[in-house]
Amino acid sequence: MENDKPVVAEEFRFSKEHEWVTIREGLAVIGISDFAQKQLGDIVSIELPKIGNEYKQMQEMAIVDSIKASSDIYCPISGKVVEINEDLLEHPEWLNQSSYELGWMVKIKPSNINEFENLMTKAEYDNFVGKIK
Amino acid sequence: MKLIFEYDEQNSGHLSDEDISITLPKDLTRTNLPLPNVSEIDVIRHYTNLSKKNFGVDVGFYPLGSCTMKYNPKINEDVARLEGFRDLHPFSPMDCIQGSLQLMWELEQQLKEITGMDVFSLQPAAGAQGELLGIMISKAYFKERNEKRTKAIIPDSAHGTNPATAAMCKHDTIVIPSDSRGNMDLQKFKQSLSSDVAVVMLTNPNTLGLFEENILDICDLAHKNGTLTYCDGANMNALFGITRPGDQGFDMIHLNLHKSFSTPHGGGGPGAGVLGVKSFLSDYLPTPRVVKQESKYILNNTKGKSVGRIRSFYGNFGMLVRAYSYILAWGTNIRKVSEYAVLNANYLLTLLKDVYELPYDRTCAHEFVISSKKFGEKSALNIAKRLMDYGFHPPTVYFPLIVNEALMIEPTETESKETLDKFALTLRVISDEIKENPELVRGAPYTTPIGRLDEVTAARKPNLKWIHPQKNHDNENLQI
Amino acid sequence: MDYIPITDIERNEMLKRIGISSIDELVKEFKPALKRKLNLSIPKSEFEIMRHMQDLAKKNIILKYFVGAGSYNHYIPSAVNHLLMRGEFSTGYTPYQAEMNQGTLQAIYEFQSFICLLTGMDVANASLYDGASALSEAALLSSSHNGRKRVFVQEGLHPQYSEVLKTYCDGADLELTNEIDDKTACVITQNPDFYGNIENPWELSERAHKVGALFITCVVEPTSLALLKAPASYGTDIVVGEGQSFGIPISFGGPYLGFIAVKDFLLKKIPGRICGMTTDSKGNEGFVLTFQAREQHIRRERATSNITTNQGLMALAATIYLALMGRSGLTTAAKLSYSRAHLLHDKLKNIGFEPLNKKPFYNEFLLRAPKPSDEIISILSEKGILGGLELGDDKILICCTETNTIQDIESYVSIIGETL
Repeated sequence: MENDKPVVAEEFRFSKEHEWVTIREGLAVIGISDFAQKQLGDIVSIELPKIGNEYKQMQEMAIVDSIKASSDIYCPISGKVVEINEDLLEHPEWLNQSSYELGWMVKIKPSNINEFENLMTKAEYDNFVGKIK
Repeated sequence: MKLIFEYDEQNSGHLSDEDISITLPKDLTRTNLPLPNVSEIDVIRHYTNLSKKNFGVDVGFYPLGSCTMKYNPKINEDVARLEGFRDLHPFSPMDCIQGSLQLMWELEQQLKEITGMDVFSLQPAAGAQGELLGIMISKAYFKERNEKRTKAIIPDSAHGTNPATAAMCKHDTIVIPSDSRGNMDLQKFKQSLSSDVAVVMLTNPNTLGLFEENILDICDLAHKNGTLTYCDGANMNALFGITRPGDQGFDMIHLNLHKSFSTPHGGGGPGAGVLGVKSFLSDYLPTPRVVKQESKYILNNTKGKSVGRIRSFYGNFGMLVRAYSYILAWGTNIRKVSEYAVLNANYLLTLLKDVYELPYDRTCAHEFVISSKKFGEKSALNIAKRLMDYGFHPPTVYFPLIVNEALMIEPTETESKETLDKFALTLRVISDEIKENPELVRGAPYTTPIGRLDEVTAARKPNLKWIHPQKNHDNENLQI
Repeated sequence: MDYIPITDIERNEMLKRIGISSIDELVKEFKPALKRKLNLSIPKSEFEIMRHMQDLAKKNIILKYFVGAGSYNHYIPSAVNHLLMRGEFSTGYTPYQAEMNQGTLQAIYEFQSFICLLTGMDVANASLYDGASALSEAALLSSSHNGRKRVFVQEGLHPQYSEVLKTYCDGADLELTNEIDDKTACVITQNPDFYGNIENPWELSERAHKVGALFITCVVEPTSLALLKAPASYGTDIVVGEGQSFGIPISFGGPYLGFIAVKDFLLKKIPGRICGMTTDSKGNEGFVLTFQAREQHIRRERATSNITTNQGLMALAATIYLALMGRSGLTTAAKLSYSRAHLLHDKLKNIGFEPLNKKPFYNEFLLRAPKPSDEIISILSEKGILGGLELGDDKILICCTETNTIQDIESYVSIIGETL
């Protein structure tokens, strides 16, 4: 059964819109990639979804604002929001300083864990970003 | 510079019973009003000194693209301050407001003739409010016809207000890319014209400063699809007496009186965003409307299908007076305004296009967009800042969004050849400076009252108001 | 008279440089070409314009106003206009380039501060079009904050404000409701209300908060704030209002000055421009437009509003007015407005007018006339007085400011007294 396939801890996967996902204790932890934060520049404000909201894969979920730009953040994996990083709202600079740790944005209870597998691996993502550059 | 609040350091803000000395119950009155008491001479000096840290058309060249920073004739200021206009209460009886109503009625006739529209509402306070009214009218029109249309087609070069307005009226936006000549892509436009498209919103000339070459086809296709056509008239300054949006096939247009019709920009406003429509939409315009009955003018309040009011009273009347006065000055010669606006833009473009990149190599209208992409990232910003050291206000930068490192330059007709020559020379000098001494340009400006400001800290640690140094007024106020 | 400095010789040089021979070549693709001259009047000289405009202005008749209702005839100190006329202020635009427009920016910062001091709120913006549209923006803000679609309006809102609110709500698919419940986005009250009544609307604000709605206070006559409790003190989440009373001429209804101020938690939702203080690389304090990512030029269809500019020069007028008046001047003007209104109210009561205000009032009050109100208004207007706003059923809404002298009040009363 596909569903029984264990997910390797702390394996990061990436979407084409530059979100990352990793699975911790059955929950999908989501943020934006280092490449994304560099492209955005100094981030000054973040809007996170409400707990309980449900999203389909690649549906708009959050907004990240820098001084001169405003970017949609897409939900890289379908599911229901169970936790948001409240501290990040007070410290948007964490997205720039620590996009994979302090800068996590939301935790989602995935409705279809298979979607994790169809996201890019780190190597695939690096290759993808290399082409953009 | 000192803040006005810092002139009164004794300011405790406390109000004694004597200060209040009225017979209101205590639970309604305040005990604290922390405004400063400042002498008149200090106030005059404070704001005069502030004005010296400011730049306007009266100070120097202000080629801010899309904003039409033309000279604002002084006579317009005088006539708007005539007692009969300035001191007139909007609830005065009809026989006491005949002069104002006549002015509004005549201005409407002038604007109809200039644009080729059938009816105008003078109520909207700004271009964005004119747009909002336009989309509300479109919504009411389709509701009346029982048609469910909830989409707005907008090209990718459009002002941000267009999609923002559509969203305020709960319309979804279909963005159409621009083609290689800077027009809205006609094929993609055709494909997106479905039965739920309410309106197509276009700026003409568009924000690239280019006349939409397919405008007649676009309006025709839209109408065949039952879709309304809306013109963002921000760039009307290119068209006076040459062509009329009404004749191009637009059903609605807003005009920014503070752009094409010379009313001062006021550091951000007030403007006036009057809306013109074709007669089939006239019933939806806001009330009241000025109507001429024989030799008298009246305000007609009949609501009918009207979408309702969009502001109190009759619009930014003082701005209407100025625009009317401007049209009187030009009269039948008004075509000259646009001819020279287009001449100045093309002349300046000619002087610059060998140094800066021209993304769409066409004859421009009253403004043009060049790119400094070849000078690297943030070059448009750096050039803008460096221009300040030479005494020029920078052009609009990083807009439209579809051109990298965009510099959007609108000289207007009121600038001399000498000014244009100097400005072009300066932009050429700066392009050399970038190559020879990039640090110099990156560090600019050097001659302004203040250097580049830390916008990141401004947004992350907002300081948006003065707070009394000795106490926390937030708490104080909550107690009163 | 024309405003184009280019000579014919220069024009020809410019055409030559472009590589063409006539301006017509530049506009040949503007379709469809208008084949005639525009049917406008013959161009007028500056002298002719002035004469023409004076003639038009004379067709308006200025009365002594005892009417307010959203447009208040307060005295404007001379210095306000002199400063506004400075071209550095009046002919600049939105301060996109902060280094060149510190004057406008600092004035906006001071304006925001004044509005916060008067209302007790945390954050004000750089201004909106007018009071009525500011109220409408506040309703839309509430809906975007809590996702609800219903707007409750307490009785006593200025009827034109109600109309504008209705228009905006129709556009945005919001509905006006008579219930305060868990579907209500916001509860709106005007204070003092259209009839002049002053309230401490604690209870209404608690009712709003109990169901998770925002509480909005609308201030149409802002000089009242010199005497009355700050709206923040009774639980207001959003204060909106009309700033015209602060140094802006009544000018047949515009341009005026909308303001909006909110509690901190709504900061990111506020529409329009906001100015903030920051520093340059040398540590000098300066001002910039901030939180621009909320705005239409960046967020486009996701912006908090489509609003672009503020009412810059009007906000400057209000700032200068408040600086000139100060704590002492503003309270004096407010007290005079209050006491003159009460003087007229009591005198009219003595000659047979019926007081209709059930609550304390500030500088506006409602009376029922002892004879048809249109007769009263017309008798007064023959003597150069606009006696009030008729509201039907012989009700008259009357207003006084410090510009209504005691002599004017006495002649108002005696003119009417003689006819009763």
